[in-house]
Amino acid sequence: MKVTRRDLLVWSAGAAAGLLATPVPWKVLDDVSIWSQNWPWIPQASRGPVEVRQSFCTLCPNGCGLRVRMAAGWPVGVAGVNTNPISRGALCPLGFGAHQLNWHPQRLRTVRRLAGASSWNEAQAAFARARSEGPIVIIDGWPGRAASSVLESFAQKQGGSYRVAVGPEIRALSPYEAWSGVPATSLGYDLENAQTIVSFGAPLLDGWGTPGRFTRLWAERAAGMENPQLRLIHIEPSLSRTASRAWQWISVREGSESALAAGLAHVLIEQKLVPAHGPIPTVGLDEVAAQSGITADAIRELARTIAGHMPAVAISRDDDPAIAALNVVLGAVGARGGIVRRSKNAQTHISAETSIADARAVLIDASVPWNFVPQTGAEVFRFAAWDGGLNNSAWLLPAPGFLEDLTDVPSAPTSAVQTYAVAPALVKTTSDVRSAAQFLSALDPTLSSAETIIHARCSDLFRARAGRLCAQETMPVAQIASLQKLEEEIWKGAVWVGEPSEPGGLRCQLKEWPAGASSLPVQSWANAWTIPVLPPLASKVYIESNLREAPARRNA
Amino acid sequence: MSARYGMVIDLDRCTGCGSCMVACAAENNVPALPQASARTGLTPILVYRASNGMEGNARRETFIPIMCMHCEHETPCVKVCPQQAVEVDKATGIVMQMPQRCLGCRYCMTACPYHARYFNWWDPSWPAGMEKSLNPGVAVRMRGVVEKCNLCHSRLHAAQEKAAATGKREIDPADYLPACVEACPTGAIRFGNLADASDPVSQEARSPQAFRLLARIGTEPKVYYKSKEPWVKALAESNPARSSEVQHG
Repeated sequence: MKVTRRDLLVWSAGAAAGLLATPVPWKVLDDVSIWSQNWPWIPQASRGPVEVRQSFCTLCPNGCGLRVRMAAGWPVGVAGVNTNPISRGALCPLGFGAHQLNWHPQRLRTVRRLAGASSWNEAQAAFARARSEGPIVIIDGWPGRAASSVLESFAQKQGGSYRVAVGPEIRALSPYEAWSGVPATSLGYDLENAQTIVSFGAPLLDGWGTPGRFTRLWAERAAGMENPQLRLIHIEPSLSRTASRAWQWISVREGSESALAAGLAHVLIEQKLVPAHGPIPTVGLDEVAAQSGITADAIRELARTIAGHMPAVAISRDDDPAIAALNVVLGAVGARGGIVRRSKNAQTHISAETSIADARAVLIDASVPWNFVPQTGAEVFRFAAWDGGLNNSAWLLPAPGFLEDLTDVPSAPTSAVQTYAVAPALVKTTSDVRSAAQFLSALDPTLSSAETIIHARCSDLFRARAGRLCAQETMPVAQIASLQKLEEEIWKGAVWVGEPSEPGGLRCQLKEWPAGASSLPVQSWANAWTIPVLPPLASKVYIESNLREAPARRNA
Repeated sequence: MSARYGMVIDLDRCTGCGSCMVACAAENNVPALPQASARTGLTPILVYRASNGMEGNARRETFIPIMCMHCEHETPCVKVCPQQAVEVDKATGIVMQMPQRCLGCRYCMTACPYHARYFNWWDPSWPAGMEKSLNPGVAVRMRGVVEKCNLCHSRLHAAQEKAAATGKREIDPADYLPACVEACPTGAIRFGNLADASDPVSQEARSPQAFRLLARIGTEPKVYYKSKEPWVKALAESNPARSSEVQHG
């Protein structure tokens, strides 16, 4: 049979029409669509058994409870723990992306000396040499941990100095330390029993303290209510996030907060709105009005509002003594709903701000905020998990990242009660990283390990038989049968919570109204405790929205 | 019984912290691409900052989380999709986006009155090693497709699997919470079954304080908002995403 051109065309047309009636072209189209969306070079998620582990966030000293979802041994998602008595299931936005931080492009993985490559052996030799040549200073940013004990013990044994760089919340409590002798690190705010909170610029709804503690409290007792159980009065020049949600926002001139605190105290005492607890400020109300930009009548009205809804407490964003003195006048120091002493055995530490000019070497723990730069000519050994870009360190030593190292979690800086928890190392390290405590233990093997210290602390809790253990259920420590059981629960993510603070444990006597304002420069509060790099997802969100100032692209 | 999943967002409780956005991106394996901008990034939930337009002491601000509204009636994106890549799930009321079917024409983005859809401009990528932190329950999507909130559908699947494993037909409501709801530190975003009259969220959606964005166009969104502030309610009809009072980008 002869095949003509016409036959070929008819056959082709018929085949094409027939093919459309089969599933083949549609299946091919579908498959091509799927293949083209799953090229082999596209990253895929880890496959493996999924489990949920409990731990605590170690990005800042607030230690929020974490529920970590792990797949194939890697963390793939974090969420808050509702049973945590302090963070109450909430996390800050950085916490939700923290599981990606260990792979951040600015993660430190190797030892660096003066921006060049070096090794742990060289770093240890250099530190040992410096130690033999002169005094050393060790700076800790998160006191109270087992690792802190290691650092402090090493400094004591070597005749060096152990110092503490504290965050803004503890700095705000330093005037009470000066007036009472009680360490600021053992003080906290009894927010749960306050009815009025007067915030002098403290970002209470924007990263202050343990994020979940105040936001949950505000949501339950104040949010959207015309006559709330908890009144949040926010005093700040600009309409910040906290100001926008406050029950009352009072816009004052920049730098006039001290004067306004004095003016409020003046009215409170003069009009006998509160029992006289302190000295009357000498400043006149008209002068305060001129400085702050609000009228004398408005100041009187504000004082009456505060006094009409007690207990009230003033919270400062810095260490302004006038605002602390206002708390003395309000009777909020050592009182229910005010500033309380949560622990009786805390130590006073030397501040990292104290001069370290005579030191031969300075060792900075990874917990110290990156924006702390020591003013010294000494050889600086700085531990850090991420490169913050700003430093004058001779040595940059890679520290464990998020959940890569065992740490215990002492009470959060603003907590009114003592707490204790343990954050085990859930994530394996992918490079040779060491904590400052491990580094020093290698130089002095007689130092106790973090595990030993944690065990000793659990033993102390068990022997004291006080407080309760909060996990899925709450259990008084007195009912726990053995130390082993208590340790087992704590290692699994339970939080030990001490007895509530008793009023009267803190007394401040003021003979005269304190002169001068805050000793701290106005700084970006939000950056005070944050890690030097943002989790990539937080960078993304801030770049793609206007919720916060967008970070530099290098952090994205 | 078919459900109608929806949300009630109490704007008086929202502090604009951004936790919902970060948690959403982590849950859905959204890459943090350095080249993405406010116009080109993927934000299945985006918190807008809006003001009353006043200055000085009279100025007030609010934060408005906006995501796919899961329109129930005449769903605009479903109507225009030439690929049938969008559909309203009859069993849940969730407006589903199927990236495998999407050809990237972006008609749905134009049709969406809420600007809640985003085009995936780039291949997803992460810094070396970070792919280990991806959520294995959600597929990584390729460039060239439109993305949006699907009420964390993978979590619904997980809840359904859990229910099936125990021989139940209905999921336990406690097992299914979208990531943004779980992350909200003030409880401003609440999630529930609007078809269940006994569900607190359903009751809240029917309260006089509840309102919906652009209610006048009749798409019947399943995301409701609440606020006591009249100026905030007024924004609802002007669409915060388009309002000149909204600062964005």
